[in-house]
This record gives sequence, C-alpha cells and structure tokens, in this order.
Amino acid sequence: MATAQSAAAGDGAFLSLRGLRKVYTDFVAVENLHLDVPKGELIALLGPSGCGKTTTLRMIAGLASATAGHVMVGGRDITSAPPYDRDMGVVFQSYALFPHMTVAKNIAFGLQMRKVPRAEIDRRVAEAISLVRLNGMEERRPRELSGGQQQRVALARALVIRPSILLFDEPLSNLDAKLRDEMRTEIRDIQQRLGITAVFVTHDQSEALAMCDKVAVLNAGRLEQFGSPIELYEHPANPFVASFVGRVNRLPGTAAGTTVKVGAHDVILPKPMTGAVEVMVRPHRIALGGPSDTAPGANRVTGTISQVAYAGDLVQYGIDVGGTRWFVEQQTTAARPPEVPGTPVSLSWRVEDTLAFPAQG
Amino acid sequence: MEEARTSWPLKILVLLLFAFLLVPVLVVIPLSFSGENTLRFPPTSWSLRWYGAIFQNQRIMSGFRISATLATLVTILTLAITLPAAYVIVRLRTRGSEFLYNVFTAPLLLPTIVLGLAILIIFAPLGLLGTFTGIALGHLVLTVPYGIRVTATALAGLAVPVEEAAATLGARPLVVFTRITLPLIAPGLLSAAALSFLVSFDELVITLFLAGPRVSTLPFEMFRHLETRSDPLIAAIAVLMIALTLGAVMIVHRTVGLSKSFAGGR
Ligand SMILES: Nc1ncnc2c1ncn2[C@@H]1O[C@H](COP(=O)(O)OP(=O)(O)O)[C@@H](O)[C@H]1O
Ligand SMILES: [Mg+2]
Repeated sequence: MATAQSAAAGDGAFLSLRGLRKVYTDFVAVENLHLDVPKGELIALLGPSGCGKTTTLRMIAGLASATAGHVMVGGRDITSAPPYDRDMGVVFQSYALFPHMTVAKNIAFGLQMRKVPRAEIDRRVAEAISLVRLNGMEERRPRELSGGQQQRVALARALVIRPSILLFDEPLSNLDAKLRDEMRTEIRDIQQRLGITAVFVTHDQSEALAMCDKVAVLNAGRLEQFGSPIELYEHPANPFVASFVGRVNRLPGTAAGTTVKVGAHDVILPKPMTGAVEVMVRPHRIALGGPSDTAPGANRVTGTISQVAYAGDLVQYGIDVGGTRWFVEQQTTAARPPEVPGTPVSLSWRVEDTLAFPAQG
Repeated sequence: MEEARTSWPLKILVLLLFAFLLVPVLVVIPLSFSGENTLRFPPTSWSLRWYGAIFQNQRIMSGFRISATLATLVTILTLAITLPAAYVIVRLRTRGSEFLYNVFTAPLLLPTIVLGLAILIIFAPLGLLGTFTGIALGHLVLTVPYGIRVTATALAGLAVPVEEAAATLGARPLVVFTRITLPLIAPGLLSAAALSFLVSFDELVITLFLAGPRVSTLPFEMFRHLETRSDPLIAAIAVLMIALTLGAVMIVHRTVGLSKSFAGGR
C-alpha cells in the first residue's frame, strides 16, 4: 500500500503529504493537504497566523497525530511513527533549548540518544558549533545567550543528528530585523551546503520568497498555491495569494474581452475575461508621469496625489483615481525629491503586469 | 535590581505583624533553658536539664521515632501520588483535569477539625483507628494538596516544546522524563517533599482523632504531656522542632531558592 501511494507521489518527492487533515474537536485546522517536497529543497509553508502551519509541521514531526491522510518520507509511510523514530530535526519558535544543560550538552543530546560513541560525539558537536559560529560558548547555559545565539544552538542541535528532514517553525520571528536577515542567509547557506530537505514555516512572505525553493501558501487550513517564488509572485492562482504574497492594488471592474472598465478608465488585460472581475496591480510596477504624458502600449490612468509616505529607499504614494485610492511605490533618488500631495499625475504600467480574477462572492 | 520604596507607616505595620507572629515563638527559646520546674516567664534560673529530660522520656522518644518514620513515609507516598496526578492535570489537560485539581486541593480549604472528624467516621468501621496506616492515610489528606500545588506549579513552568524537542531528537518518553522533565522540576519536587515532611511531622488535629495507645506521634505526646504537666520540657522540644523546620527550609532555600521553588520557576 505504501509503495502504491509513493508511486502516486510527485517525481522525486522525498517528503510527501497525502491528503493530510487535522481536526481539533470540531475545528478543522488543516484540510486535505497534498504537498511534495523534492530531496534537498527548502520549501516554505506560508500563511497568516492561525492558518495551520504549525499544525502541519507538528504532524510531519509526529508531535500531533493526523486525523486523516499520510506523511511519507522516501516512499515510506510514517504517519503513525512516534517522533523519536522519525529522524527529523526540529527548530522550534521558542527554541526549546534544555535550560539545565550547557550549549555542548544541548547539541550532544540527539547523538547520545543515537548511542554514537563518545569520541565521535565530541567531534561532531565541535563541528556543529563551528558551523553555527558559536565557538567559545560551549560551556554556557541557554539563559546566558542572546536570542540569536540561542537560535544557533537550536539549529546546531537539530543539524548535528544529520536528520533526513529539517523542520523550522517561524525560527526567526523572535529576532530583530537585522539579525533576522543575517540568519536567513545563514540558514539557507547551511541547508544548501548540506543538501538537506527542509520545511520552513513562516508568516513573512519576503522571508519565504527570499529563502525557499518553493512556497506553499496556506489559508484557513487549505493549500492555496504551491510553486516557486516567481510563479507565486507573477502568476498568483487567486486573489488571496496575489494579495498575501506582496502588495497589490485591488480594483473592481467589468471585463469584456481584453478590455476591462475600472471606474472611468479602460484597462487592457493580458488575456480575455468577461463579467465582474477584480483587477490587481502591484504598487511598484506602476510608473508615475505628468498628467498629460502618454504611455503607448501600456495601461494608463490619471489621478491626484493625496498622500505621501517617505521610507528612505521607497516612497509610497496614495493616489486618488476617480474616487478610488491607488497605491504606488517609487524608488527614491537623491536627484529628485518626492512629489507633494495635490499634484496631478498619470499612472502607467505594462499590460502583463495586470492581474485579473473573476470577482468573488 | 530596583529597590522597592515602602512608606514608613507600611514598614511599621509589617514590623508589628512580624512581632505578632514571631514573639510567641521567640519566648519559647529562653523558656527551654529554664532551670525551674514550671513554665514561668521569665525564668529565674538557667540550665540545659530539660533538653536532657527529653531523652529520658520514653513516650516522647517513642513519639519522635514514630513521627519521623511517619513523616518520611508520608513524604514518599505524597510524591508518588502527586507527580503523576500533577502531570495529568498540567499536561494532558483533559476535560476533567481542572476538576481533579480542585478535588485534590479542596482539603486545604476545610477546617482541619472537620477533616479529622470525617476521617474518623470513615476509618472507624475499617479498623484503621489507632493504627500507623490510619494516621499515615490521615496525613496524606493534608500533604497531597500541598504536594499537588507545588508540583503542578513546577510542571506548568516547564515549556512543553522542551520535552517535544527531546522527543524529536530521539528520546523515548521515559528518557524524556528522566533526562528532561525530572531535572527541571526537581526544585519543585524538593519543596513538595520538605513541605509534606513538615506538615506530617507537626500535624496534631487529625492525629488527635486517629492516634491510639499503640501509635502516637510526637505532637500528640507533647499535647498529652502538657495536659498533665506544665514543665519547660515542652519548650525544649519546641525549640528542637523549630530548628528542624528551619533546617528543612534552609536546605530548600540553599538548593533552589525558596521563592523560586514555591512559585515553580526554574
Ligand atoms: N491544541 C489545539 N486545540 C485546539 N485548536 C488548536 C490547537 N492547536 C491549534 N489550534 C487551532 O488550529 C488553528 C491552526 O493553528 P496553528 O497550526 O498553530 O496555526 P499557525 O501556526 O499557522 O499560526 C488555529 O486556529 C488554532 O487556534
Ligand atoms: Mg504557528
């Protein structure tokens, strides 16, 4: 039975979730989740808080039981295997270090459980410690470390057992922005160097896109889309993905063929549609011009700047277009100061940067 | 550390409260060194004779041996009951766990004399009156609630993911318990043990209902002694008991820190 199911799994998938479902008393936390993770890839589980990411990760790790469905690793069904038999390294959101053990003992724990000989434990712990750059901290207790250092211990502790799969539950959410960026690169770097298969839970879309080979977008326990960062960003499957992965202007309109009426303006769609639609344009794909500038072959609307938010690298404009508020983001340059509210402008963007979905409801 | 600023009237109030609580205890100390035959304060002559008299008194010595054995046994049983019970209450969080916690800790709210009477009524037909087993069971009714409280607090202070992390690293449940859970709640368990021992060792009210000619505890013997005689012997014993209590508290304080262990922190 297990082999039949693995045959049905995607080509080369190492970790497969087959119709995974989790029900807490009467609340469905995860519904019919199918996911194939190829060996050696880092994939993200991305979604808003409460969408079932942690629950999914816990079912993969064996810390929560699946109400239905299967977890397969290398073609083997491990759905009912206990966590201590799964050979997965888990990095918890709270780090979950052993407070009564030193850094070295924390990292050695998994190797001791595997009855690895003493000398090899020492060697591998030392290796892991330099991998995460914690040299000199071996004898410290977790409480004597900063958040970033604790994070590294948690990572080393999970890596040192050379798990078949590495699982991260929002590991960077407790770090400050600068350290978070550093750790992203570091985790990605280590994962690629070791060629380890990993699942990374996050609610931060930029983290998911920047770090991962593929991203699974979850919403209310369901998989909305699974694809590469580019697929997700440029070809979102639905309005939820479009607006969760990156920012968008969402505008109601009525389509007839490749032309859609948005307010008083005609907007050209890359492919024909009919009826009520929702048009979406990403704020930074829109160029601002003078009110009478033309944009041949592109979409163009006109409006008045009503709000300016200067953030250093970017300036965000709120623009009133026939009673609807649009957002436009522009890169700043020293040569040109931001526009001021009240300025009439034209907004133009390429036809292929126009997303449209049938209107919901 | 920021020093708390307290106003003078509050300080004086606290001082008065302490005096109210501690002066009677402190009076016992000079009394125990009295050279007289009666409990009179202040004593007019001084000696150590009443300390010597303790060891001459067969009933007191027998009461002490029984109380020490009893308190040890009650402590062990308390931990044996408390640990799994607290675990169920804190960890499994089943529907009944809060109810269970309330049931286990309810005796703390009842007047001990009511408890003693209830136990007497139940134990009499079972032939438990005047037996060592009967007194031990009676004491458990008091020590288990304390034990549950302290142990449950200690367990609640231990984050679940810490145990889960151990499991994902390959530790089976028993190994998780011995290598992770137990060391982390050891301070709480030590407090529970110290508390149980002290509660059992100086328990009188319930014992009054249950003791008999064959088994009687140290507090019970002291009580009997006081009924017939009023010599400073009692003060000498009291001082030794205070020393024992302070000793136990010091051990807990030294190993884990008192406030930490009772608050369940790590
Ligand atoms: N033990 C539990 N009992 C009941 N409901 C739970 C439990 N754990 C999680 N949930 C619910 O399941 C949903 C998904 O939770 P979770 O997987 O933790 O979300 P995420 O990690 O995406 O924020 C949430 O609505 C949460 O309230
Ligand atoms: Mg979560």
